[in-house]
Amino acid sequence: MRIRPALLLNWTLPVLTLVAWEAFGRLGLLPRYLSVPSEIAAAFWEIALSGELWVALAASLWRVSAGFALGTAAGVAVGLGAGRVPAVRRFFDPLVSFLFPIPKIAFLPVVLLLFGLGHASKISIIAFSVFFPVFVAARHAVLSINPLLVWAARNMGAPPRTVFFRVVIPAAAPELFAGIRIGLAHAFIVLFAAELIGSKAGLANLISYGEEWVRFDLMFAGIVCFAALGFVADRILMAVRRRVLRGQLIGTEEQPA
Amino acid sequence: MIASAARLIRRWYSIPLLLLVWQAVAGTGLVESRLLPSPVQVGSVLFAEIANGELVYHAAVTVARALTGFALAAIVGIPFAAAMARSAVWRNLFEPIFLLGYPVPKIALFPVFTYIFGIGAPSKIAFTFLECLYPIVVTCLLAFRGIQTRLIWTAQNFGAGRAAVLRRVILPAALPSIFAAFRIALPVAMVVVVLTEMIGDSIGLGYYITIWSTRFSFSNVYAAIVTIGLCGFALDQGLLLVRRRAVYWQREAS
Repeated sequence: MRIRPALLLNWTLPVLTLVAWEAFGRLGLLPRYLSVPSEIAAAFWEIALSGELWVALAASLWRVSAGFALGTAAGVAVGLGAGRVPAVRRFFDPLVSFLFPIPKIAFLPVVLLLFGLGHASKISIIAFSVFFPVFVAARHAVLSINPLLVWAARNMGAPPRTVFFRVVIPAAAPELFAGIRIGLAHAFIVLFAAELIGSKAGLANLISYGEEWVRFDLMFAGIVCFAALGFVADRILMAVRRRVLRGQLIGTEEQPA
Repeated sequence: MIASAARLIRRWYSIPLLLLVWQAVAGTGLVESRLLPSPVQVGSVLFAEIANGELVYHAAVTVARALTGFALAAIVGIPFAAAMARSAVWRNLFEPIFLLGYPVPKIALFPVFTYIFGIGAPSKIAFTFLECLYPIVVTCLLAFRGIQTRLIWTAQNFGAGRAAVLRRVILPAALPSIFAAFRIALPVAMVVVVLTEMIGDSIGLGYYITIWSTRFSFSNVYAAIVTIGLCGFALDQGLLLVRRRAVYWQREAS
């Protein structure tokens, strides 16, 4: 099998970085806090066997998935409502335009005091952060639907419910997913900051323990794990999106006809 | 006159309504008043802290850091994206790093940044740079790639050199998308700076929030949150102003 030169180039930089990192680290040319990849892999193995990794991963995973699910559900529901019902739109528009640009993590001290250091405070601040991008996308998606589609459905005698579920939601779905994807990215940023600032469990704690115990290999193992979690979550969302939007993507850049 | 006032009320009523409810709830004492200070208290703290320069100072620190990281990302990112759009080697070298790296939560690397750059401004600026670089490079790459080749062919046909094509065709064609990238990256810069200041610093709005929440003075915390909102709003409006000047032939679609 011939290897395509493009594929070779694709792998050049990541592999080169890892090799150089390992080599310079072994030669003692790197500062102590940059553990070399082989040490990181060993540390990863160590916490995976001792079970620390799974405890931390479970805590982070529960927080991010619950918070993301709540925020997305609320954002989609209210956003679709705001798109369809002018009264809902009038109520939420000013509030969102004021709150949207504020980094929601700024509310963390308040949320920590309200809900404590456990899961509830992380879940609520994540849900709060996820809500806004999803709301904005849902509202805009519904408002930019081609009115001809809705008129055509009504003309053929579709009741409002059918119009909503069979016309409005499918037409809004592509943009909805764009908003949800941004929400997912926010969820991980907020998760990390919230766990680092006020928490006793989770991957970010594993990372800060690694720092405190001067076990930089552990710190990096935690970082790699957190990054992988975010990456996999995004891939899963994209797979769901392709499944849900199958048929709608034909002829676009993703699935050229 | 009355009609326009009515329209204004219909459009904005929810903010004063919510403030009134908040004030009423705070007034009944059902909620711990230190945790949920009334809007009047927050407002008076906000004015006091702006008047004595405290909030202005911390806001200036935060905004300066955000803008520095953002500007560095723009200066590096746009030529980078252009190079990736023009050269297959560059594209194959860097595309996986940017497209696959995009959904990776880079915030996890912040502890490493504090080791490399120290706890103060440099680590925040460097991290803001990294966080802004991704949306700028990815959005601009798509923009540069999407420029219709016949525009470039036409210019070349008229005898335009490489520099002229870049300055007169490619840049104007990509400019709206470049501003779209800026509008994504600038709020990211604000979020990242506030967040990293909350994790550890001795100046900046993020620090201000942390320190006053440990002193249980939530009026100051809310005042800082309002300040962050105002800064974000001002930055976005500033960006739109620049955009109107630069992309005078096309109005923004919002």
